Amino acid sequence: MNRPVSRLAIIAAIIRKDLLEFSRDRLWMILTPLTLVMFTAIFWLMPYQVEETVTVGVAPGALGRALELLGSPGLRLVAFASEAELAAAVAGEQPDAPPLSIGLAFPEDFLLRAARGQPATVRVYVDALVPPEVRHAMTSAVREVAYTLSGAPLPVSLLAAEEVVLGTDRMGQQIPPRERFRPLLVFLVLMVEALALASLIAAEVSSRTIAALLVTPVRSADILAAKGLLGTVLAFAQAFLLLLVTHSLGGNTAALLLAVLLGALLVSGIGLYTGAAGKDFIGTLFLGALFMFPLMIPAFALLFPGTASAWVQVLPSYGIIQAMVGASHGQGFVELAGYFTSAALWVVAVFALGWLALQRKVTSP
Amino acid sequence: MPAISVENIRFSYGKLEALKGISFTVAPGEVLGFLGPNGAGKSTTIKILTGQLTPQAGVAQVLGLDVTKERTAFKARIGVCFEEKNLYQAMSGEENLRFFASLFGVRRPDVMGLLQQVGLADRARDRVSQYSKGMRQRLMMARALINNPEVLFLDEPTEGLDPVSAQTIRGIIQEQAERGVAVLLTTHDMWEADELSDRVAFINEGQLYAIDTPEVLKLQHGKRAVRVRRQLDGMVSEVVVPLETPEAGQQLKEAVSAPGLLTIHTEEATLEEVFIQMTGRGLRG
Repeated sequence: MNRPVSRLAIIAAIIRKDLLEFSRDRLWMILTPLTLVMFTAIFWLMPYQVEETVTVGVAPGALGRALELLGSPGLRLVAFASEAELAAAVAGEQPDAPPLSIGLAFPEDFLLRAARGQPATVRVYVDALVPPEVRHAMTSAVREVAYTLSGAPLPVSLLAAEEVVLGTDRMGQQIPPRERFRPLLVFLVLMVEALALASLIAAEVSSRTIAALLVTPVRSADILAAKGLLGTVLAFAQAFLLLLVTHSLGGNTAALLLAVLLGALLVSGIGLYTGAAGKDFIGTLFLGALFMFPLMIPAFALLFPGTASAWVQVLPSYGIIQAMVGASHGQGFVELAGYFTSAALWVVAVFALGWLALQRKVTSP
Repeated sequence: MPAISVENIRFSYGKLEALKGISFTVAPGEVLGFLGPNGAGKSTTIKILTGQLTPQAGVAQVLGLDVTKERTAFKARIGVCFEEKNLYQAMSGEENLRFFASLFGVRRPDVMGLLQQVGLADRARDRVSQYSKGMRQRLMMARALINNPEVLFLDEPTEGLDPVSAQTIRGIIQEQAERGVAVLLTTHDMWEADELSDRVAFINEGQLYAIDTPEVLKLQHGKRAVRVRRQLDGMVSEVVVPLETPEAGQQLKEAVSAPGLLTIHTEEATLEEVFIQMTGRGLRG
């Protein structure tokens, strides 16, 4: 006689079976640890501090030495005897000169002209790769140098006093590339696990073993719960390990882990959908990539601040990434509540989508 | 109480009407052969009766339980053998059976006994990916029996199998029926349907055309005749005596009493011929 079987026992049995299958899948058994090792290595190889010193070439050399006396933290001046030497150094044609992307060529009588208040032309040499904002900053710097040397006040007042800083003011605590990269690495780890989950589901659908499950006391909700749980635990465990080995569990650890958990749930939901909707393994990978790549945009945007458009905020992963960044900077649950809520809503929506796709697949002719 | 009871069920895939209101019953211990060409509605009927699809009209009960309302309860008491070999390839035969036993809550599954029954005991620990087609089909049969079901749904269980594997499966079907298990069997093999089924049902384009014992169907709808061969002066001649006519007795007497009698064969319609006669199309369409 068979005993009535509980939903929990059914879910546990499916998870055990999936783990067994997963452990025998060579592709994912290689890819999973490889991803972790690779991303950990990338993290530790990234610069751990921001290089804030700007090296500027100055000609003629006498003026450069005079400017050095003014002293300025973060500004390193390299003196050149002539404008020609300076231009060659910026162009990278001076092997002995330090790497230089900006050069200021003052006229020989610059100090005299500045003292008399006469106009003077200063030529600014810039490498083509120097961003426009840095070029503008150098132009302003030249004007400031001129007025500093001449002793006259600047004719235009700066807006520093009226500047309003939104969010955490990170003045003087710039985020090193390594830290900017961290959310992206975490998201990539989650993504790999989601694809592994998607491939498990795709195999279940394409081999029609799902039909064999559904003629037993198993319900489609049990399959969804088992796969979702396994996918989430695998993804979360991988991401947690990455955070651990990269010493990234600082700040508000509980909030950070909640953000990662929501990320794991989100990618598992997408894994469920793509696994159920894809026709085969390749179709699942294609669908997975189609969904996952846009989700990486908020994490990419952290690498290049100011580049992301406002629409990025509607992406399901936006709240998760922002919550991760905020939590790692010590922000509390209350401050991050909005991000958590939007992420949780997306998780529910994605799981519902996955369930619908699965239902559609199992009831098709 | 019938083990399976279907009353006027209908189902459509979009605009395609797969079942147009079919009704039948299967008693405990009875084997019902469900015959029809591809797309006739056999698989849709099985999907409804195994809880994979919900009928859009009508009532279907298995073991007295409504298949749409008491799904978990009746599924615990049925066994299904699919046409496609939907087994977990990366797992062994034993692991497959143990997994399904755990889904049914079987206390002490006799996995090795079942594998022995289907001739796979010596390959129990091999992965299914290493099994031949016949071995996989036999494992599918063992899986369908893992929960000691009271009703078995078998969809083309011997399709494309070697004679030995097919015979093993047929033997198991007969054993189960003798044990009191109701069996709904779909097959293209008319000889198999004739051999195994207590009754057969003809389904075509979503409609049930006939349901009765193979003998009755053949008698009612097929031809009956006796073929008599004689040899005279080295020449072989043949006389076919139809048995439906009133003069059949006299004609047969004359045919067999004539000199040079060589052979006498009775001729009966096959189920396939009966099916074609009733529906106007073949079973392999």
